[in-house]
Amino acid sequence: MNAYLPVFILMIVGILFAGLSFVASGLLAPRKKPTAAKLAPYECGIVPEREPPQRFPVRFYLVAMIFIVFDIEIVFMYPFAVVFRQLALFGFLEVAAFSVVLFAALLYLVSNGALSWGPAVILTRGMPSRTSESTITRISATKSTDGQAA
Amino acid sequence: MNHLALPTVSYAALAPILFLLLGGVALMVLSALSRRPLAAGTVTGYSVLIGFGALISALAEYGHVNGAGPSSTVASAIAVDGFSAAIAVTVSVVVILASLLSHGYLRRMQIDAPAYHVLALTSASGAIIMAAANDLVVLFLGLEILSIALYVLAALNRRSAKSEEAALKYFILGGFSSAIFLFGIAFTYGATGSTNLQVITRTLGEGVAAKPGLLLAGLGLLLVGFFFKVAAVPFHLWTPDVYEGAPTPVTGFMAAAAKVGGFAALLRVLLTAMPQLSTNWTPVVYSVAVATLIGGAVLMVVQRDAKRMLAYSSINHAGFLLVGIVAATSAGISADLFYLFTYSVTALATFGIVTMLAGPRDDDAGIDRLSGLARRHPAIGAAMAILLLAQAGVPFTTGFIAKFSVIEAVVGHGSIPLAIIAMASAAVAVFAYLRLVATLYRTEDIATVDLGYDDSLTDGPAAFAIGLSVVVTIFFGIFPAALLDFGRTAVAHLLP
Amino acid sequence: MSIPLSWFIILATLLFGIGAFGVLVRRNVLVMFMCVELMLNAANLALVAFARSLNDVGGETTVFFVLVVAAAEVVVGLGIVVAIFRRRHSAVADELSEMGG
Repeated sequence: MNAYLPVFILMIVGILFAGLSFVASGLLAPRKKPTAAKLAPYECGIVPEREPPQRFPVRFYLVAMIFIVFDIEIVFMYPFAVVFRQLALFGFLEVAAFSVVLFAALLYLVSNGALSWGPAVILTRGMPSRTSESTITRISATKSTDGQAA
Repeated sequence: MNHLALPTVSYAALAPILFLLLGGVALMVLSALSRRPLAAGTVTGYSVLIGFGALISALAEYGHVNGAGPSSTVASAIAVDGFSAAIAVTVSVVVILASLLSHGYLRRMQIDAPAYHVLALTSASGAIIMAAANDLVVLFLGLEILSIALYVLAALNRRSAKSEEAALKYFILGGFSSAIFLFGIAFTYGATGSTNLQVITRTLGEGVAAKPGLLLAGLGLLLVGFFFKVAAVPFHLWTPDVYEGAPTPVTGFMAAAAKVGGFAALLRVLLTAMPQLSTNWTPVVYSVAVATLIGGAVLMVVQRDAKRMLAYSSINHAGFLLVGIVAATSAGISADLFYLFTYSVTALATFGIVTMLAGPRDDDAGIDRLSGLARRHPAIGAAMAILLLAQAGVPFTTGFIAKFSVIEAVVGHGSIPLAIIAMASAAVAVFAYLRLVATLYRTEDIATVDLGYDDSLTDGPAAFAIGLSVVVTIFFGIFPAALLDFGRTAVAHLLP
Repeated sequence: MSIPLSWFIILATLLFGIGAFGVLVRRNVLVMFMCVELMLNAANLALVAFARSLNDVGGETTVFFVLVVAAAEVVVGLGIVVAIFRRRHSAVADELSEMGG
């Protein structure tokens, strides 16, 4: 039974920590949940009927995501570079295979247009062009249809 | 300049993994380079061929191991033994069936077919890596290859908000469980000084684990990570939502591949690396098995949605597989191997039929949609009935043999109460399955409105795969000896 | 004078606990991602600390693999979140309750 003692201690510490966090957040957090009126943006007394449209440039996220993947692969290249000579042909071939797979992924991305950095043709496709009339329709549109248009 | 010991790599032993992985990469490159989108039929055929390649190389590996005995390769990080070969065979069959079953669906939903197949092939290779891993780090990598591809697969149906929601839930809980699993690896490494399964078991055998607390904490975290992945109660809460929301063929693939990979790895870690700790892990696995058996069966009865019901059915099956682990004998492992193979085939085909019925947007799998199916379309209704009865464990199907051999193994181990609970759970589950079968043969509301699935029922490749699965289910249900022997021989050549 | 191993392990366990707690109680999906990352990095810290005390390079190489896996996981997760965000302009897990889970 003695062997389980550290596990129990770990468990008790974990539970205590979780409990204390609840107590602390209970003590420190604002007393009341803000009402809907408090959370609403102030628009000179007019009750807002819909969420304000947000700019959401997907392209930046896409580039950031691709960057993370390709950037992190360098952690395999650095150790390889350090012991490049000792690893001889075997190591070179393995890293070459790794790079080929990585390059295949890059090829796929380019062919899918994930890196075409120009006017956002794909994103605006399917959205109606903006005229004064369409703006009026959009403002009076219900929330659900608006969500689909976005 | 000091000399580095370079590992020897037996590429023949890695062939099933390489087939699937490189097949996936090659398909990705092909779809990138071709000027027009690849035809869906071509991609499906390609994927089936890759699956056959993996199947043949897995069988070759199995034959090789039978002659030469188990060994390990890549600096003993990958086990080359009968167990990994048998799992590779199972996963290859899953790949073949899943490609056929998804063909019509991808066309109907206008999902990019190469994307689906690349992800499915990659994910399947992850399942084989998990089964063949002889090192906890390789096991973790296999788990992540399997899971990350599955997260994306779950999000593939862009028309359904449920699909994205399911992917997000699966992702967050999957990431959570992976992190728990990794922390378990870190603790095990700290306590035993290695992540290699053989070194771990040698260290435990010598009794020199200087930090028993650390070791037990590591074991506990590993178990929690595994229980999340194989959806054992009480770590199953994500399963019904993810199974319901994911595109239906993906749900079938997930139910088969993820369970096979997860259980293969769990079996190997517990029974080859940590048999010395069995006094510690048996009670845990025992109680989780009881909870899973009871929870899965009882919750299955109250479901109103076919996909949710099948999700709880898969949880119930996980309970039976855990029973095989409690037995912890070679009989238990070979029973689990048989169970995994037959369960994968029946579950895939069942989800294949649900795919046909889930409506033009794949967002409604209510049980009432199945009402009267066997009257309208006798062949498909009969196939569904047989597959459901097989899952229920009716004699002359593989389900019966699978449940019987698992229970037999645990009785041989001496856990009579667990065997009784397993049988009771099977009885409760039979009620749910039979109710669904009765719904199939209901007559009164045949003439209700068109459910919009008559078009999807004329799906050739899927119908072929379902027919094949039904034949397999009945054939090995009546003549199970060959498949049971296959499993026994595989376990006899398990890397110690 | 070196810091004893147990301190690292306690720190790693605390970080892991904070991460796990965050995944369970926070409702913003992006914060939940960060918490999963925190858990993975806690495991990394434990691996490196053990590798140091065992004088074995295995634990340190494992960290490389974990880093890459974590990056791949984050990318897939962000992809899913972006897809959801384009559909409904929110990243709050509670609002994703179409299936009542």
